[in-house]
Amino acid sequence: MNPRIIGMDVLFSIKSWWRSRGTVFWSLLFPIMLILIFGAIFSGTGSTNFSVYVQDHDHSAMSSQLMDIMNKTGVLKITMVNESENVTKYIKDHDIKAFLVIPNGYAQHINQSFVDPNSKVNLTFYYDPTETSSTEIIRSVISNIIQTMNMGLSNGRNIVGLSTQSTITEKFNYIDFFIPGMIGFTIMQQAIYGSIERNTKYRKDGILRKLLTTPITRSEWILAKMTFMLFLSFLTTTIALAVGVLVWGVKVNITPLMILTIVSSSFLFSGIGMIIGRFVKEEETADMAAGAISFPMMFLAGTFFPLAQMPSFLQTIAQVLPLYYVNEALRNSMIYMNQSLAITNAAIVLVFAVIFFVAGVLLTKWRED
Amino acid sequence: MVTKRFQCPSCREIASFSGSAGEQVIVTCPSCLHQGKIVFPAEDTASYAIEVSHLKKVYGNLVAVNDISFNVKKGEIFAFLGPNGAGKTTTVEMIESIREPTAGTVKLLGEDTKTSFDKIKEQISILPQEFHSFERLTVRETLEYFSKLYKKQADIDGIITALNLQSYEKMLYRNLSGGLKQRVGVALSLVNEPDIVFLDEPTTGLDPKARREVWQVVANLRQQGKTVFLTTHYMEEAEFLADHIAIIYKGRIIAEGSLDDLITTYGRGSVLHIQGCTSSEALVILKDEGYDARSEGNGTIAVTITYKDRVLDVLSTLRHEAIDYESIEIRRSNLEEVFLELTGSKLQEAEA
Ligand SMILES: Nc1ncnc2c1ncn2[C@@H]1O[C@H](COP(=O)(O)OP(=O)(O)OP(=O)(O)O)[C@@H](O)[C@H]1O
Ligand SMILES: [Mg+2]
Repeated sequence: MNPRIIGMDVLFSIKSWWRSRGTVFWSLLFPIMLILIFGAIFSGTGSTNFSVYVQDHDHSAMSSQLMDIMNKTGVLKITMVNESENVTKYIKDHDIKAFLVIPNGYAQHINQSFVDPNSKVNLTFYYDPTETSSTEIIRSVISNIIQTMNMGLSNGRNIVGLSTQSTITEKFNYIDFFIPGMIGFTIMQQAIYGSIERNTKYRKDGILRKLLTTPITRSEWILAKMTFMLFLSFLTTTIALAVGVLVWGVKVNITPLMILTIVSSSFLFSGIGMIIGRFVKEEETADMAAGAISFPMMFLAGTFFPLAQMPSFLQTIAQVLPLYYVNEALRNSMIYMNQSLAITNAAIVLVFAVIFFVAGVLLTKWRED
Repeated sequence: MVTKRFQCPSCREIASFSGSAGEQVIVTCPSCLHQGKIVFPAEDTASYAIEVSHLKKVYGNLVAVNDISFNVKKGEIFAFLGPNGAGKTTTVEMIESIREPTAGTVKLLGEDTKTSFDKIKEQISILPQEFHSFERLTVRETLEYFSKLYKKQADIDGIITALNLQSYEKMLYRNLSGGLKQRVGVALSLVNEPDIVFLDEPTTGLDPKARREVWQVVANLRQQGKTVFLTTHYMEEAEFLADHIAIIYKGRIIAEGSLDDLITTYGRGSVLHIQGCTSSEALVILKDEGYDARSEGNGTIAVTITYKDRVLDVLSTLRHEAIDYESIEIRRSNLEEVFLELTGSKLQEAEA
């Protein structure tokens, strides 16, 4: 292994890649465009709403005073909700982003706190985690009010607290679903087509034959190309996430499992590309074969639309598609944060990656017959 | 196997004999049947850049390369000449360790390529047939890329100047014309200052001007003392460039030697062309006189001349018969004729 040769090759790969406007479009602009378009279509108005719904179970002077203070901030628009309403149902039915519940006994607890230092009371704040920007503002305004109140009441002892609860524990926005799918899909496209180009065009053009007679080894070459692929994969991920976070306020977690999935899927799809290139020698035909494999996979693996919306036999097909596990692993490791699903799917992707990449490397020969 | 020409001590005719190096044999002169002992010169292996012995490649039931042996001396331009499908690429790629031979051995600079190819990678360089480099690197970057794969790196500026690529060095490879691509291809095969350069049909598909430019570059390699292994199906190319020619046909070497060797051994000597001949009788008359004459159309008659005096004989015959003509021209036999003689077909028409 000669790191100098590998580094040099990666650098030249990036240079050529950057000059190919088509490739740059497909790997960068296309995902951005889709994220913008799909985000706009599916995320409703997207306008920030600072109204907060309040349900007062206490009906005391103190609770009215609290609402009064909230009103006076000028930031929050308060709507009263009848005490008899079920909170969760009401939030769901009226698609409410922020909801504050003042519990029964609120005033009583505060009054008692003057004699009993352990007396505490919690307000509950329900919020929609996908509306990060607006709910964050509301939450911080409310916590500020509470803190000021605590200061006045007891020199900073926490008598009134705020417990928060997400309004939707299961339901995420479409864009939350879409962004990981977009990342997985773009990595797949880049890796498959890149690998096909190297194994068909470079073979036909004599580049592989020429390299065979130079001191670069095949492992150095593969390592250099995979380094380049990882560069592309992380670049696309960064860009997709940047658009998702900045434009649609998606809440993303960068986790080791997410990184692992991105690395494994780059290897996985490069391996698939190698296998295609091994059996379909003509570049154009191989590209068609790649399209025939990756396009249906894109739809069937729940990249753009949840599998649950599909007929059950299609859902069964999805279970054998590597992209399905890539999508699931990415979603659970960066958005849904379902640790056990993230681990299972990331592990499946890793196994697929090892199988396809090793098979690809073993099946591909540099030497001619 | 060595082929050596000997002059018969009795009749002064020249004849070729083949045998193994250092071997002594009794031979018979084909002209006067004089018998004598000849000694084939011992091989000086240290002076060989390429040694190929009994190389064979079988694809299914096609024997693409059939028991080929030859040696290329250091510093020589060796042309491997043959029609399409003769087995040139198969042979050269077996020599370059790109294809696995079915049988036979190859030594480059004394090293057996089967076991020590890695050792000599730094000293050789190849231009594959129809080579097409990375589309989106410039000429200079392409040279830098390949040069950085080697320990020994030639001066890129020097190569650019030597191959007259200064005005194109910033151009993307994909935008170059075919001729320039090939010139860059040859330039690429110099980035490691190799001892042996393999060029597989470097001028196929080029127009005559571009072809000449590549020839000039290859001819310059000889001046730098490099050994060049060139495959081609253009005999002018072999005639112009090669010190040593092997003609390959249907997977076998059918003739080998210097241009002079080949022409003397297999050529028809010289041919007298009589142009603008007025009489239709002329051909018949010349044939009756026992000359090897044939019509080449347009009133041109070609007469094979075996001894130089015969030119005068032909002309006086014509004058005697009062046959007028516009001009005469004497052409020396060329490789095309050697090929025709050996295979019964023209090189450009022969498809194996
Ligand atoms: N990989 C292969 N599999 C099967 N047959 C092959 C293979 N490579 C070459 N051949 C056959 O071997 C013969 C020699 O081919 P080769 O490419 O060596 O010829 P060539 O002299 O280089 O011709 P050209 O001038 O067209 O390049 C041809 O009949 C060709 O079809
Ligand atoms: Mg060839």
